[in-house]
Amino acid sequence: MKTLLLIGALTLGAITTQAQDYKQPLTKAWNAFDALPMEASHDSKVQLANKMELIAKKWDKDWAPHFYVALTKTILSYDEKDVAKHDAILDDAEKELGDAIKGLTKNTDETYVLAAMIANSRMAADPMSRWPKYGKIFTDNLQSAKEINASNPRMYYLKGVSTYFTPAAYGGGKKNALPYFEKADGFFATEKGDDIDKPYWGKKANTYFFGECKKDDKEVNKN
Amino acid sequence: MRKRLLFLFFAPLLTASFSASADFRISGKVIDLKDKPVKGASVYLDNTIDGGTTDSLGQFSFTTEEKGSQTIVCTESAHETTGLPIMIAGDISDLVLHMKDNLHNLEAVTITAGSFASNDRTKTVLNPIDVVTTAGSNGDVVKAMQMLPGTQQTGTDNGLLIRGGDVSEAAIIVDETIVQSAFVSGPPGLATRSRFSPFQFKGVSFSSGGYSAKYSQALSGVLDLNTNDMPDKSNVNLGVNLSGVYASGTKRWKKSSFDAGGNYFNLSPLLAVSSVSNGYKFYTVPMGGGANARYVWTPNKDGILKATFSTTYNKSGINIPNPTLGITDTTNTFNTTDAQVKYITEDKYYFGTISYRQSFKNKYLLYTAASFSYDDLNNVFDRLNLTQKEYRNQFRIEVKRTFTNKLSLLLGTDLQNYGVKKDFRFTQQFDETQEAAYAEMEWNPIYWLALKPGIRYEHSNLLNQDKVAPRFSTAIKTGNHSQASLAGGIFYQNANNIYYLSGFKPGMQSAIHYIANWQWSKNDRTLRLEGYYKNYQDLAREYGMGYSANRFRTNVIANYVDNTGYGYAQGLELFWRDKKSWKNTDYWISYSYIDTKRMYENFTASATPTFVAAHNLSVVGKHFIDKWHTNISATYSFASGYPYFDPAKATAAGFLSDRTPAFHNTAITAAYLHSFGKWFTVFYVSVDNVLNTKNVFGYRYYNNEKIAVTPGFYRTVFFGVNASLSQFSKDEL
Repeated sequence: MKTLLLIGALTLGAITTQAQDYKQPLTKAWNAFDALPMEASHDSKVQLANKMELIAKKWDKDWAPHFYVALTKTILSYDEKDVAKHDAILDDAEKELGDAIKGLTKNTDETYVLAAMIANSRMAADPMSRWPKYGKIFTDNLQSAKEINASNPRMYYLKGVSTYFTPAAYGGGKKNALPYFEKADGFFATEKGDDIDKPYWGKKANTYFFGECKKDDKEVNKN
Repeated sequence: MRKRLLFLFFAPLLTASFSASADFRISGKVIDLKDKPVKGASVYLDNTIDGGTTDSLGQFSFTTEEKGSQTIVCTESAHETTGLPIMIAGDISDLVLHMKDNLHNLEAVTITAGSFASNDRTKTVLNPIDVVTTAGSNGDVVKAMQMLPGTQQTGTDNGLLIRGGDVSEAAIIVDETIVQSAFVSGPPGLATRSRFSPFQFKGVSFSSGGYSAKYSQALSGVLDLNTNDMPDKSNVNLGVNLSGVYASGTKRWKKSSFDAGGNYFNLSPLLAVSSVSNGYKFYTVPMGGGANARYVWTPNKDGILKATFSTTYNKSGINIPNPTLGITDTTNTFNTTDAQVKYITEDKYYFGTISYRQSFKNKYLLYTAASFSYDDLNNVFDRLNLTQKEYRNQFRIEVKRTFTNKLSLLLGTDLQNYGVKKDFRFTQQFDETQEAAYAEMEWNPIYWLALKPGIRYEHSNLLNQDKVAPRFSTAIKTGNHSQASLAGGIFYQNANNIYYLSGFKPGMQSAIHYIANWQWSKNDRTLRLEGYYKNYQDLAREYGMGYSANRFRTNVIANYVDNTGYGYAQGLELFWRDKKSWKNTDYWISYSYIDTKRMYENFTASATPTFVAAHNLSVVGKHFIDKWHTNISATYSFASGYPYFDPAKATAAGFLSDRTPAFHNTAITAAYLHSFGKWFTVFYVSVDNVLNTKNVFGYRYYNNEKIAVTPGFYRTVFFGVNASLSQFSKDEL
């Protein structure tokens, strides 16, 4: 009986903390999103993104939920092939990022990094006609992030991804991307990744791309 | 027994938890207005975190502890958010929520009649990359416009021939100020390049009529070029090609940047490998150089200052077909009878602009710009000195007030002073100052409708005339991917400069434009159909001397000149561009039909001018070969024959009634991209007029001899390499 009461009290306690703070549900939703394997269905990602959106609506004044909604929407936008729809998702992401900045009262390295990622996704929707405009916004935002915190791994990761997908003829490709992933990897290693208020996203993807680049490097060496 | 007891113990607890937080299941589906399921929508109870996501059939299901009166809300990026009040007293199933597609509302209708607008969401524009990768454009932004509908092919004129207008009737605008002498100077009858590099511009917007109240003094249309904002990063750019060498550098600081560059050109190697048309013989090969500097400063997030200065020098000496041949009047005291005359050009050109743009909380936008152009020509025409100084100074200031994102009002004023001073046997000059004020409203009362009324007042000091020019354009969505636009207005322009230089003072000429356009655009495919009618009034007309076939005359001799000229132009144009059907392939087809006649200048009867071909066609194709890092492009251009003057047919019916053979041109280019370490290089080669077609733009008569008017070059070959470096250290972002 005592045990039961204890369990009851704990459950109630959990419910009340849940009702007061976004941290627990947001952490749970983000970690679930981040843990999805690369081949996970788009639908399962959308589900978790939508969950985060509800958390952001409930704790509207807090910056973190809006930040994660902006982040997940941006990640999801890359899957969208229809340019107009792609833009519509990013319009939402930009709005959420704006709400996050409002909550923070100012830009941080993380908001600049995310703004860069949004620009990168805009460009990805139609690279040939968009790179002059969004390539610049991408670079400028990463530069602003670097001025605040030069050891933010995510900006090197983003630069790496952007280089990775740029054709080799334009100075991109795996070989040129490798140093960025390597640098990001070093900084990722120093992150604890246990506090949702200190964004730690990107490690998994960085490890994947770093591996791909190294694989290619070896192949080249073999030849 | 124990089990039972335990159950009994539990029972009240369970019911209690049910009554306190009984989970009800809410399910249903979300469909759009066409009854199609909406996938990935977030469906939730307002002010709670209870919700679910729709699957590919639009179905959702979630549980909640809430009860009583609630609102179920449904959101999705491509649809408008919807809500529905529900009463929860138990499970709810089979809810149906309707969502309205807002995807195509996001992109509010834009006015396209008469213009090829430029922004990242419209696709029909030519951006700098398009310009340089289009075969036949020779990397010249103005030349590239000849592959769009509404323009004529030309190899003999400097400028744009738009919808029946001559080159003086189209204005070239940089950062909202008109550029004087936008082309490298050369001998008469030989088209030269514009003075700009396509990479100077972030936006190129071409209007073949019905343009904004911001601009005037162009009866036909405007080419509106917007220079780049702050450069991305510091870089160095070097190049060498068949006609010269160039180098430039950009230093970027946090809030400002400085660029400087220089070039030297000499056409000797180019001439050696090209096919120069018979008429033209260079005895001093065109050569020269230029320097330019640019400063950009962003004092704050919403403000940008740009200042540029450039100067060029070039000279050439050429034997050209005598442009006065075939002139029947005898009062022209300068009438050399040689078939060829010497023409030496020496040109110094200076151009500077400064502009500042600042927005205030997205409510006000202030823009101000000033510019000057000064062109100092020292030519020798058959042993006679011909010096000419052309200048233009301009100032513009405007404020745009954005009331809502659907309504804005622009108010502005501009001031222009320009003139020409020419010395050729005697001095001729004029100086004109024009003051103007304009207002333009942009109103999208509803997403499928855009209205843009405008009005412009202008005053000419030289002519002492005041004109009020109303403008109007509108666009209506006709479907998710299509829209119809209308544009029109009155456009005024002073007569050709040579009248004022020659001491005549014809008043302003006018053109009324009526343009209707329909455009369909989906997934990188665009179809445009446009029809127009233009009515010309008050065109300058000369009396007393008869027609002169010399289109490059520098002086007007007449008993008197007035504004009794008139004319019309009407046509149909088609444009189709497709970047989608084949991977890495972009092609477009541009076709224009025009019917125009004018009674103006020294025409003796109403006729189609000599630079207008009724049918113009351009087919442009580009393909990028991934594996070879190579971009290839080919262009075929066609124009039906041009009218020419046969002195034997000087009657009203016979005047300009003959046509030259059709014009054909095939051009190809290839560009190979390669990175050498941090250096990004492009090797390119282009061949214009591959088939060496002997195109003819008209004929001249002299002593009953019929002489073809040809472009300066037939087949030309051009190649070079460009290298740029923008990454200076390894981990630079």
